[in-house]
Amino acid sequence: MKARGWSRARRCVQLSVVALLASQLAGGGFFRGTLSASTLLGIPLADPLAALQLMLLGVSPTAHLLLGVALVSGFYLLLGGKSFCGWVCPVHLLTDLLERFPGRESLPRLPLKWKLGSLGLCLALTPVLGLPVFEALSPIGALGRAIGAGALSGAGLVLLILVAELFFARRLWCRSLCPLGAIYSGLGRLSPLRVAFEEKRCTGCRRCQKNCLVPEVLEPCIGDKKSRVRSGECSRCGSCIDACPTRALQMSIHKTVEKKEVIS
Amino acid sequence: MSEKPRHSRLAGAGVALLGAAAAFLSLGGRSGNAFLLRPPGAGEPQRFLSRCLRCGACAKACPYGSIRMDETGLAGGELGTPVILPRQKPCYLCADLPCVKACPSGALDAQLRDAKKARMGTAVILEREECLSLKGLRCEVCYRNCPLIEKAVTVENYLNARTGRHAVYEPVIHKEHCTGCGICEHSCILDRPAIRVGELQPESENLYEG
Repeated sequence: MKARGWSRARRCVQLSVVALLASQLAGGGFFRGTLSASTLLGIPLADPLAALQLMLLGVSPTAHLLLGVALVSGFYLLLGGKSFCGWVCPVHLLTDLLERFPGRESLPRLPLKWKLGSLGLCLALTPVLGLPVFEALSPIGALGRAIGAGALSGAGLVLLILVAELFFARRLWCRSLCPLGAIYSGLGRLSPLRVAFEEKRCTGCRRCQKNCLVPEVLEPCIGDKKSRVRSGECSRCGSCIDACPTRALQMSIHKTVEKKEVIS
Repeated sequence: MSEKPRHSRLAGAGVALLGAAAAFLSLGGRSGNAFLLRPPGAGEPQRFLSRCLRCGACAKACPYGSIRMDETGLAGGELGTPVILPRQKPCYLCADLPCVKACPSGALDAQLRDAKKARMGTAVILEREECLSLKGLRCEVCYRNCPLIEKAVTVENYLNARTGRHAVYEPVIHKEHCTGCGICEHSCILDRPAIRVGELQPESENLYEG
């Protein structure tokens, strides 16, 4: 029987983030901004990629940005890096829901590494165009503004992603194109929060991989019997844990920093 | 694997798409778009665009709801940047500048402490033929509503040449004091406002008065 604990918890957190963004429409004063930069109960929060682009533009960072980036980066460094994607990002929530459409299996999954390219492109173009390129194009920001300010001018970007994912490739944006995902994937590689694998309990049914949004991250465990998921691409969503009938997978904290065993 | 050719085709399409987006952004940015009224402290358009994170905190901080986030498109990298539409709601120059304080990135310059020193743009009587005051009527609504009355707008009177016996009371804008808040444009009683906020006009070097 499939457990639902992690999936439910994750959906609750995702919806809470949407509610937090939407609270601005209702005039709630405790959260202000989008996921690029915001203030939550007076605490500054800022996205590391946004700050990085401003640095490349030669803008000296404000106290808000410095503290915000430190808090946000520290948080995701502890809690799994791409957990931002899996648990917080509203674009991921939409593409999650898209994955429930029938017939998704026939579509390809594109390489995870492409988003390093789009990160590089964003950072290279930023000083050339004199714009924080990702902020000017970000569907995450556009969706945040749509939810938080009712500003629908960027909704087309989000729609474009959904259409592309519906017809061309599974989870195209989150897997292969999002430059912010590339940043958090890097943080995730250093994070102590991991999915641990107990070989003795595994029956090799591979239900975990069928439920995983990034199935290749589980391959070293199931295939090569590694004791934990080492890839930064794991969003710590817990779907594999829910899917495992023999409880071979657990969320766990590892104190030691991972040895260099990078998988693609 | 059979997916390989499909990968490379998609890769090509992706790169092309990104390239097109980049070209679009740069093209729009250089072509000198129509004037956009930004919140106080934004400064030069290019300076502002390079610092704004498009987070909307300024819009949420504005007590009047003057700042809008959905007036700009993808061109020129302006998507999601804050804009004031004076005809709908102008900037009321809050003394404590909540929008500037809310800006996380410094795109709205925190050095700006006095709202009356804001330079968002400069008001101009664009349609002189339509302006009621210039027709010789005692309208002067823009003058009365200006938060810097007698500084940014004064009324100069002279003989009404049309009648030969009345006076014209002409609202005159003094760009060295005009904040570009748009209250004049907002309050103009004409359907199409005769006075409008446009691009910031630099102060003259040799002013005849202080």
